[in-house]
This record gives sequence, structure tokens and C-alpha cells, in this order.
Amino acid sequence: MELEHYQKIALYGFLGAMVFGAIASRTQFCTMGAVSDWVNMGSKTRMRVWFLVIAVAMVGTQIMHLTGMIDLRQSIYLSTNFTWIGHILGGFLFGIGMTIGSGCGQRTLVRIGGGNLKSLVLAIVLAITAYMTLRGLFALLRLEINGASTVDLEANGFESQGIPHMLSNLTGISATAVAIIITTIIATAAFTLAFRDKELRSSFDNWLAGIGLGVLIVGAWYVTGVLGFDDFDPLQLEAASFIAPVGNTLSFLMTYTGATINFGIAVVLGMIAGALVYSVITRTFRWESFNDRSDLVNHLYGGVLMGFGGVLSLGCTIGQGVSGFSTLALGAPISLISIIAGAAFTMKMQYYLYDEEGWMHALKSTLADLKPGKSG
Amino acid sequence: MTDAAIQIDQELDARNLNCPLPILRAKKTLNKMASGEVVKIIATDPGAVKDFESFASQTGNELLSSSEEGEEFHFLMKKA
Repeated sequence: MELEHYQKIALYGFLGAMVFGAIASRTQFCTMGAVSDWVNMGSKTRMRVWFLVIAVAMVGTQIMHLTGMIDLRQSIYLSTNFTWIGHILGGFLFGIGMTIGSGCGQRTLVRIGGGNLKSLVLAIVLAITAYMTLRGLFALLRLEINGASTVDLEANGFESQGIPHMLSNLTGISATAVAIIITTIIATAAFTLAFRDKELRSSFDNWLAGIGLGVLIVGAWYVTGVLGFDDFDPLQLEAASFIAPVGNTLSFLMTYTGATINFGIAVVLGMIAGALVYSVITRTFRWESFNDRSDLVNHLYGGVLMGFGGVLSLGCTIGQGVSGFSTLALGAPISLISIIAGAAFTMKMQYYLYDEEGWMHALKSTLADLKPGKSG
Repeated sequence: MTDAAIQIDQELDARNLNCPLPILRAKKTLNKMASGEVVKIIATDPGAVKDFESFASQTGNELLSSSEEGEEFHFLMKKA
């Protein structure tokens, strides 16, 4: 059977995502865990692994963009409609959601493959909420939030929200030179921090996650931008993201006979498949289910906040945090910082709520802890 | 050294809690303990195994033992 063009692209996405899912399972790559280690233990190792993923993805993606292999302006991240409140508010809500839901979109899919039924329920709720935010009832709220705050960059003389183009406009230095300088600084910083961190440096798994997952993001851009490029059958230029595509996956499964698969859906399914195969081979597959009502409630809240926040901020810790970041879009670091802030805020609240002295006490203590300049 | 030979000063029930709550509660419990005291932590989240190893190496509190018993994970941690 000869596969159609779009089916081939989806197949490459599925296979690449299987590798992603297997690596994430083996290395326990977890962006929420990275924030938790930092906030709760003072360990930045997992944060540095995440930074390494970003840097590797950025280097490969920028090389392809600057050599003309792909045109990142075709991706959603470099849109001239700059929805800054969406990035901040959506990111913050997503950060809260991934903390009470015990993991980001990527981790949730990996956990499903490992037998976690709690993550399956969370993913279904996340998918419904994401779809409602894209096209349903919550889309009204999204449009209301973004409508009032969207900045039309084109009207202000910018051709995209790419940081190199914006700095180029402001300084007169060529966008290519700015892109090379930013990418070099980020990559140098990421590798320097990685080599300086004894725990990161000495662990094969940390390097596997840092470099392997970064390379897979570059591969995703290559698949949709180079292999997927076809004048007669144009496909969306995208890399890995785990919120809107999860909503699209649920819609695809429910309307299968009238729907067509795309790269994002294939990546979602590939992630679960890769984690499943890995957990079966390594005999780590383990059924996990809800323990009590609060466990269920937390996962439901987590799914709603991640679905709504993730769509509002145009991506999650991987979608904006790595794929978006690799395009050097202005929205990506804003979303990423907001996600980390939302997660850190929630963890501090959880810590102080354990004192059972009420929400106000927890909020005051949390805000005191998160004051700029104070750590731990 | 078996668990039975160690004097346990505190017990923390972190069963049914998901990451990052077991670590958060352990941190809170350890903050209220004196140096040298031992807390026994019981968790059900598989991620807790690696988390408590990192927690120990990062905070200096000693992880005396880590074991799987049925569906549960038991940890003994001595406050630095």
C-alpha cells in the first residue's frame, strides 16, 4: 500500500515520537520535576537538562532556518499577532495545572504508556478542555482575553515576533547575526552549566535526555519543514507540542472515518506507544489508578488548567518551552517563565498549606519566599 | 542494617500522594526534627524512589534505606 504524502509525514512523526517516549521513560525527563527539584531541593540538575534540550533544539533549528532549509515564519510561534497576556496567564495556569496534575503534557503521555490510568483520565480531560479552548465554549474566553491585549507587530513594522527580527529592527544589526549571537550564547551557557554540574556530567541518562530529545525536536522541524514541504499538499510547519495536538487526537479518534491524521496527532500517539514498548521491555509497566477522591479531583483540575492554559499560551513546557524557544519567538521565553512561576507558586502553596493554617497564611508565606532575590 | 534495628522517631504517611507532594511533606517533616533523628516515609508513587535519592544527595540528609514492599515504597531518612 502506497502511503499518501501526509501519511508518510505522520508516520515519521509517530516513529520519532516513539523514540522520544522511550528516552523520556528511561531518563525520567520531567519538566515539572525539574521545577520541583529546584524549588524543593535546591537542585538545578534537571533544569539544566531541560536547558540542554532547548539549546540543542535551538542550534539545529536555527541552522536549518538560516540556511533556508525551513522557514520558521510559517510556524505558529512567530506570528505577528503577539498575545502577551495569553502567554503570561496561560503559562501561569499551565504551571499550576501541571503541578497539581503531577506532570506536564509530555510526562502525562509517557505515564499513560507506563500504565498510569490517572494520566489517561487527565489526558482525556486535557484534550476536551484544549479542544473547547480552540473551538468550543472556552474559545470565547480565549478570544476575549487575547482580543483586548493582542499587539499587531506587523502594524508596528515588525515582520514576525522572532527576537532576531525585532532586535534587528531596533538596532540595525542583521537578523541573521542576532540569531547566531543569541544561539551561540544560549548553547555555550547550556553546555557550560551541564559540564559544571557534577550530577549531570556523570550521568549518561542526563546527556541522553539533553541531547537526544533536543535532536528529536530538530528532526520534527526537518520532517514537517523539509520532507513535508510540498507546494501541492502544504502541511503545517511544526515540531512537538502536547496540548492542542492532544485535543486534536481525541477529535481524530472520535471522527476517525471522516478525519485525516496529521503530524501532531501522530506524535501524541507515538509518545504513548514508545513509552508502552519501553515499559514492557524493561518490565516497568505498572497499572496505577486513583487512590481516593482528592487524587481524582487534582487530576481533573490539572487537566482543565493544562488544557486551557496550554492553548492560551500556545504551548506547554515542550511546545513553547522547547519547540517555540528553538524558533527564537518572543512569546516562548514569556510562556516558559510564566509556566515555571505558576509551578513554583503552586509548590510553595502546597508546602505551606500542609501547616493547616489556612490559605492566607500559605499565600503570605509563599509570596515572601518567591520575592526576587530570595531562594529556597 | 535492617529497618528493625533503627530507631524511628517520626513516621510520614505519603501514600496516595503524587510527585512533588511526598518530597514536600518530607521536607516539612524534616524541618521540625532534630539532627540525627530518623523519619520513616511510606509512599506509593514510583517516582518517589529517584526523588528521595536526589533529595538525600542534595540536602545532606542520609537515606538509610529504600525498599519496595508490595505496592508501597518505604524510606528511612536521617536528618543531617
